[in-house]
Amino acid sequence: MTAYTTKELMVVALARELRDGDLAMTGATSDVPVAACLLAQQLHAPNLTLILPSGVVNPAPGRLYRSASDGRWIEGAEAIGSGYDLFELSENGRLDVMFYGGVQIDRHGNINLTRVGNFRGPGLANISFAVVAKRICLYSMAHNRRTFVERVEYLTAPGHLEGGASRREQGIATEGPVFCITPLAALGFTPDTRELTVRSVHPGVDAEQVIENTGFELPQPPPWPETPPPSSQEMHVLREVVDRTGILREG
Amino acid sequence: MATRASKLRSMVEALAPVQDGCTLAVGGLWFHNKPMAALRELIRRGVRELTLIAPPPSSFDSDLLIGAGAVKDAYLAHVSFEHLGLAPNFRGAVERGLIRLHECDEATLLGGFMATVEGLPSHAITSLKATEHLRTSPLIQRAGEGMVAAPALRPEVAILHAQEADEYGNVRCLGTPFADPLLAKTAGQVIVTVDRLISNGDIRSDPHRTTIPGYLVEAVVEAPFGAHPCSSQGRYPHDEAHFREYVAASQRPETYAAYLRKYVYGCRSHEDYLRLVEPPREAA
Repeated sequence: MTAYTTKELMVVALARELRDGDLAMTGATSDVPVAACLLAQQLHAPNLTLILPSGVVNPAPGRLYRSASDGRWIEGAEAIGSGYDLFELSENGRLDVMFYGGVQIDRHGNINLTRVGNFRGPGLANISFAVVAKRICLYSMAHNRRTFVERVEYLTAPGHLEGGASRREQGIATEGPVFCITPLAALGFTPDTRELTVRSVHPGVDAEQVIENTGFELPQPPPWPETPPPSSQEMHVLREVVDRTGILREG
Repeated sequence: MATRASKLRSMVEALAPVQDGCTLAVGGLWFHNKPMAALRELIRRGVRELTLIAPPPSSFDSDLLIGAGAVKDAYLAHVSFEHLGLAPNFRGAVERGLIRLHECDEATLLGGFMATVEGLPSHAITSLKATEHLRTSPLIQRAGEGMVAAPALRPEVAILHAQEADEYGNVRCLGTPFADPLLAKTAGQVIVTVDRLISNGDIRSDPHRTTIPGYLVEAVVEAPFGAHPCSSQGRYPHDEAHFREYVAASQRPETYAAYLRKYVYGCRSHEDYLRLVEPPREAA
């Protein structure tokens, strides 16, 4: 079996959630979602379109840059949109998938990037995508009680709000968060109450570790299945086509 | 024969319209295509009480202006150094109430620019629902069932950085233009710094590549590496080592003051600054 880093495992697990034909967009600090989209294009989703936050459409795989808006993504890309194109995307519902991280992510997948107590976070460039994108995939490089909380202190972008049908009741027609990948586990949402629930724990992580590091009670207790490790084909394409310089191996 | 007027200006001449209390928009996104040579010149000149507007993802530009005490009001959405972490002076100024932050997001900023472009008092938005921004921002106007509106944003001056322009203000963005063409139509006066001046013949040889036409531009300033330490997309990448130095220096007031002394106040001009920093590697 091929060795892999936690980031590589997260990329592979996230790539498996993406569908052929998806129109996907990423935000800041997005090495995991960008790599997942580029990997999915090579494996099962050749018709996925990736738009970077600078408006670059379908950057060529080959290597990754840490800044999602880096100018070097332009070489070999298919098109460069402008700020106006992003405004259009954030209003008309064309987007299938948006990725969000959070300073806080709560039980119902709501996102806080703005403030916690007196701490001022980076803020969010685009709230609208959380409303208009058909699906949201969440990711966090920190799985701990500071990040995964019962309730966000400031609602920067809507997940499933109070859970249940509350998103629809607020006039939001899209699905909202469907998936969340962390260094410890892959999580989904319960179909009725819309709570984060563990789908699988990563190899080498025990269930107790996930419970201890999550700031709310998980709706479904263990045992949980293990996240299927990357296949040799997934790892081959990831390292030889998507991330030749090994950004995801540096941590 | 009548002579067409050149818009080529020195940095000092071009920046004259940016007076204390001015509403200033800065182009680019994150730490890319930012008119840093111009912003350093403004700080050196001691400009105060700016109302700063930046397109939704902003970074070093806002952080430096705020850190240097040049900003009173700010219309900003996201400010960070992306994978390099938080924007320390933006964060500190908000936490300590040193600036008045008008929380924005993409829809409020770009919608506000578009309202101005369209000659409307506001731009309707349907995509902001159920958030704290919607509930608490004084910027957001109600506009009927399921709809809000972003008020028109009208910066007095916009400063942009692009890679090439001719002396008549015809600009080529070799990287992402992002919101710069929109800002150029929104601002009262548009100042563009460029890494390289090209001829009007070059512009005419390939007009498809003109991203901002000259009639929108008041002044062009030739400033090689004028975005440094930010990137100038298509010419040179951002200087990550410099950002690390900046973020580290921002941790204490003394070290931050030393940073400003070394890289801003200690330089008489952009040419002086370039002698101080490692020249960025040009793209082939």
